[in-house]
Amino acid sequence: MNTKSTIPFGPQHPVLPEPLNLKLVLEDEKIVEAVPSIGYVHRGLEKLAETKDFNQTTFLMERICGICSAIHGQTFVQGVEKIMNIEIPDRAKYLRVIWGELHRIHSHLLWLGLFADAFGFESLFMQCWRDREKVMDIMEATSGARVVISVNKVGGVKRDISSEHLTEIVRICDEVYADLKKMENTFLNDYTVRHRTEGVGYLTKEQAYSLGAVGPMARACGVPQDLRTLGYAAYGKLGFQPVMETTGDCWGRTSVRIKETYESCRLVKTAIADLPAGDIAVPVKGNPSGEVVERTEQPRGEVVYYIKGNGTKNLERVRVRTPTFANIPTLLVMLPGSQLADVPVILLTIDPCISCTER
Amino acid sequence: MIPNVIEVTKDQLLGETQKMAANGFRFATATCTDLGEGKLDVLYHFDKENDLHNLRLKAEKDEEVPSISKIYLCAILIENEMKELFGLNVQGMAIDYGGHLILGVDSLKTPQSKITIEQRSAK
Repeated sequence: MNTKSTIPFGPQHPVLPEPLNLKLVLEDEKIVEAVPSIGYVHRGLEKLAETKDFNQTTFLMERICGICSAIHGQTFVQGVEKIMNIEIPDRAKYLRVIWGELHRIHSHLLWLGLFADAFGFESLFMQCWRDREKVMDIMEATSGARVVISVNKVGGVKRDISSEHLTEIVRICDEVYADLKKMENTFLNDYTVRHRTEGVGYLTKEQAYSLGAVGPMARACGVPQDLRTLGYAAYGKLGFQPVMETTGDCWGRTSVRIKETYESCRLVKTAIADLPAGDIAVPVKGNPSGEVVERTEQPRGEVVYYIKGNGTKNLERVRVRTPTFANIPTLLVMLPGSQLADVPVILLTIDPCISCTER
Repeated sequence: MIPNVIEVTKDQLLGETQKMAANGFRFATATCTDLGEGKLDVLYHFDKENDLHNLRLKAEKDEEVPSISKIYLCAILIENEMKELFGLNVQGMAIDYGGHLILGVDSLKTPQSKITIEQRSAK
């Protein structure tokens, strides 16, 4: 006789750096139902944004998340620039790509390390984070901060990057590329690792699309969806092509993130090679009036900003839909049928960022 | 300034959403804005090949609005969030968190609503 039992997974769990709860219904070790739930650390930043000057709101949006703070700031200022019809200098567009892709590299390396730790491969975790430190160091050197680098502003960027630092960034990208090439074989071909990732957490292309999956979650299922193809900032001039897989499982998501790291290294180096001379910002006058929906591609996928200005310095509404918020519903389909031991691995492959989700 | 916006009533919402699904659109998210005086503005955002289309619904706070989660299951989180944070009266959600997806039992109700100082002091 099968008996069902219900257990909570999280909000506190060794595999979760941030609080997320799954209510799991089990038959023996097999999951028959999973209901995700959030709400443990909601900060109400959207409401707080209504009380701030729109320039101050840039700082606020950068603090939604530490892992993709530069891209949060970039998306917000791009939206305000659209409302105010501001065309920023070309050099600023390229600098935004360089810092944004450095964020993607460190985010993917962070995830790869956490993922290795989740299936018990601690030396692989340390190798990934050792390389991530190189990226953090160059962000500190170019911006003065390791995490919330705060380089974007309405009208362009606040800082330029010196030629010495540009040379250093290229060197670091080459090192990260070479080191990750060595680790790729373990992540994708090691017998034990494949046993934990192949066919686990499977999602079809149709399921991924209908459940609104974004980023590597969607692309690992063969959904060709990457907003960088829209060509915002300088992406239209860098020959960007989305990375795709078709396996739809944890292995596919790992592969997409590894190959995206290579593509980010290439984008950074191409942006540096093609970096135009000139100003890094234009003066901004007046206040935003009107509404816009702005979208960019973060490491975890599409982020959506809705911004509404009323002609005063305070914005009437700032709404942020982060990629993790869009990827959580996929758990409703991926987890049922899986083994309890696979839950940490499946959950981590959505790259859950609760800081973003609980903005 | 937002392109591709179709204004809908609550009676048209499910029909128009069904058309989006039939035309292969992905549900991206929804945005609720409190316009003051008990009026809410809800934008439902849909994407197809990076082309964004939107349905705009104006609703009163107490007015019942149908859930689109029977068409797009992934709408459950945002519908629950709009219900809790703005007081949008969404009915028939595929998973209803009973007002506690984000808010705790002793949390301030509809914390993202516009509220005057007089209303706040009366609470």
